[in-house]
Amino acid sequence: MAFTARTRLVNPRLGTYFGIFAAAFVSLVLMALMFEQLGTADAAVRLLMFAGPIVFFVAIGLLSASRQVGDYFVSGRRVPAFFNGLVLAISALGGAGFLALTGSLFSIGFDALCLSLGFAAGFVFMGLLLAPYLRKAGAYTVPTYLGRRLESQTLRIVAAAVLAVPLLLLLAAEARFAAYAAAWLTGQPEGVMALVVVGCAAAAVVAGGMRSLTWSSSAKAIAVLFALAVPATVTAIIMSNLPLPQMTHGNILRVLTRTEGARGLPIFFAPVLAADFPGQGLEPLAKRFIQAFGSVGSLAFTLMTLVTAAGVAASPSLLMRPGTTPGVYETRKSFGWAVLVGGVVLLTLPAVAVFLRALFLDQVIGQPVDRLPSWFQALQQVGIVQVDTSTPTVGFSSVRFQRDAALFALPYAAGFPQVLVYLALAGALAAALAALAAALMATAAILSEDIMRGLQPETAPDGARITTARVCLMGAAFVTAWLTVAAPGDPLKLFLWALNFSASAIFPVLVLSVWWKRINAWGAMAGMLAGLAVTALAILMGETEAWALPGTLAAAVGLPAGTAAALAGSLLTPVPGKSILDGMNEMRVPGGETLYDREVRLQRLKSLAAGRDPQVSS
Amino acid sequence: MIDWSERKAYWRHTKMQMLTSLLPFLAALIAIPLYADALNHKRVLGIPLGYFLACHGLLLIALVTVAVFVNRQDAIDHWHGAHEDI
Repeated sequence: MAFTARTRLVNPRLGTYFGIFAAAFVSLVLMALMFEQLGTADAAVRLLMFAGPIVFFVAIGLLSASRQVGDYFVSGRRVPAFFNGLVLAISALGGAGFLALTGSLFSIGFDALCLSLGFAAGFVFMGLLLAPYLRKAGAYTVPTYLGRRLESQTLRIVAAAVLAVPLLLLLAAEARFAAYAAAWLTGQPEGVMALVVVGCAAAAVVAGGMRSLTWSSSAKAIAVLFALAVPATVTAIIMSNLPLPQMTHGNILRVLTRTEGARGLPIFFAPVLAADFPGQGLEPLAKRFIQAFGSVGSLAFTLMTLVTAAGVAASPSLLMRPGTTPGVYETRKSFGWAVLVGGVVLLTLPAVAVFLRALFLDQVIGQPVDRLPSWFQALQQVGIVQVDTSTPTVGFSSVRFQRDAALFALPYAAGFPQVLVYLALAGALAAALAALAAALMATAAILSEDIMRGLQPETAPDGARITTARVCLMGAAFVTAWLTVAAPGDPLKLFLWALNFSASAIFPVLVLSVWWKRINAWGAMAGMLAGLAVTALAILMGETEAWALPGTLAAAVGLPAGTAAALAGSLLTPVPGKSILDGMNEMRVPGGETLYDREVRLQRLKSLAAGRDPQVSS
Repeated sequence: MIDWSERKAYWRHTKMQMLTSLLPFLAALIAIPLYADALNHKRVLGIPLGYFLACHGLLLIALVTVAVFVNRQDAIDHWHGAHEDI
């Protein structure tokens, strides 16, 4: 099967299909614009912008239904590099990238760049260190990969348990972001929308697993890019007479810097280890946009970049993605596309933040509190900003913003029709849904392949494996819905904790399992458990302020601890056997059949020779 | 399919390629933001240089790093006969 020409595997009509989707999505937005101008009720337009895209996403997911294990867990290994990179970038960013990162850039300016640099560097780390080798190994889940390569079923169970921690945090965070965007889009309470978005995300994935996830997330990614590009480009044309907001916000930034100085926003420096990201509630503008290290200290900035990078590179919801391409070369190439798509997004978000800040400083700060612009009053009415009316004029300290609202506050501030606000919200919702669906699929695959179906799932018939995975997916969706309602706290913090856990418990062991031949199952187990425990402890100490390291940087001690434990655990126990080394040698070479596929094929042949064909007998 | 005798040379090449791609990128990733404040009084396209390098520059470096890595690693695969047989 691996010897089939890759051009014959990839569907040649993908471009046409997604061209049709893009055209349909644009027409939907134009239709909503026309309805708004014709005076249709606001609730109807909102419903159209909420339900329209979701109907597309779920329909694509249902149309890609499949009864084959290869389709269900690795999308049939026929996703071309571009689509793989597109989905990878958008589901890595997710709601945290679009809502919380934009808001943080708006609030703390330069200091929030540590997160966006971390995302980009995460793609580089994953593409260089892990993805090509995971593709050649070809296992459906990370625990399966570790269990098979290091030949230990105990390790497989331990890995599944360890991966559950970052996955649950990711699920809770992304579901909260999705519910937030959906609540603003529809005007319904967040608790209700949490159930709706988790249901939609699960419905888009359950029919075809990874195949549904890939193609519905491709559609989501196209919608996200359109929803981000349109408001940002139109604002750029209005404010600087040029399109390309990523490159042309320089003049606005110059005016902004001057205004910030004139209006007396102070310059101050944070302690080197401080990492003060804006919280979930209403927060004042913390510092000047361009000044470095006012909220996040210089050491914390570097650590946050590296922790985010390692966390994204080993994010359990993204680690299934390298397996879906036709080959190792395509997997490497897909990371080029991921950096390109992610980079364009990560350049647009600061531009959005700069535009919003410039409009705010220009039109609001220093104005009398009773003569504020109408867009600002609209934002006040819906509760995105709050002004302290005890002073006669508006100062920096008397205005508070909701962090996650920055992305869709820009269309408000630029005076656009309401539909563009809804478009920005629909984009953020699509991004959060893509991340949520990826995390759901990863959870379901680990639950069904590594835990529910016991220790030898590969000999089970396709139908039974898929049914188990579907049941697990629904179970994961229920848990997520419950978590969303129950989990307190800031979703950005939950997301950062998830990155910390994957950076310290998964990243070192995975990197060593490719690059260090001496590693064995004991070392891998020790590394994962030590990384997990030390990070959990560091988060606890950071949150209770028992030491100076903030909880969101816990992996700064967790990652070295995990690495050291993996090294020590391996060196203290016997050298891995010949078959482990043979497998590792083979994994390092791109040519030849995918290891997992070959092993499963041989297992099937063996049971066929023994007179019982699992595929036929059931 | 790759010869057994080629494997060691292939993996040495691959390791070197990984390090030559990763280490300069890592150095830039850590160093550039630390000097941002000192560079901010100069401007490119009206954007302060320190911010420009940390935001636009590093993303460009990341893209170039991955693109060069994909190209070079593919050349290494073909040189040692380790590429996929299509």
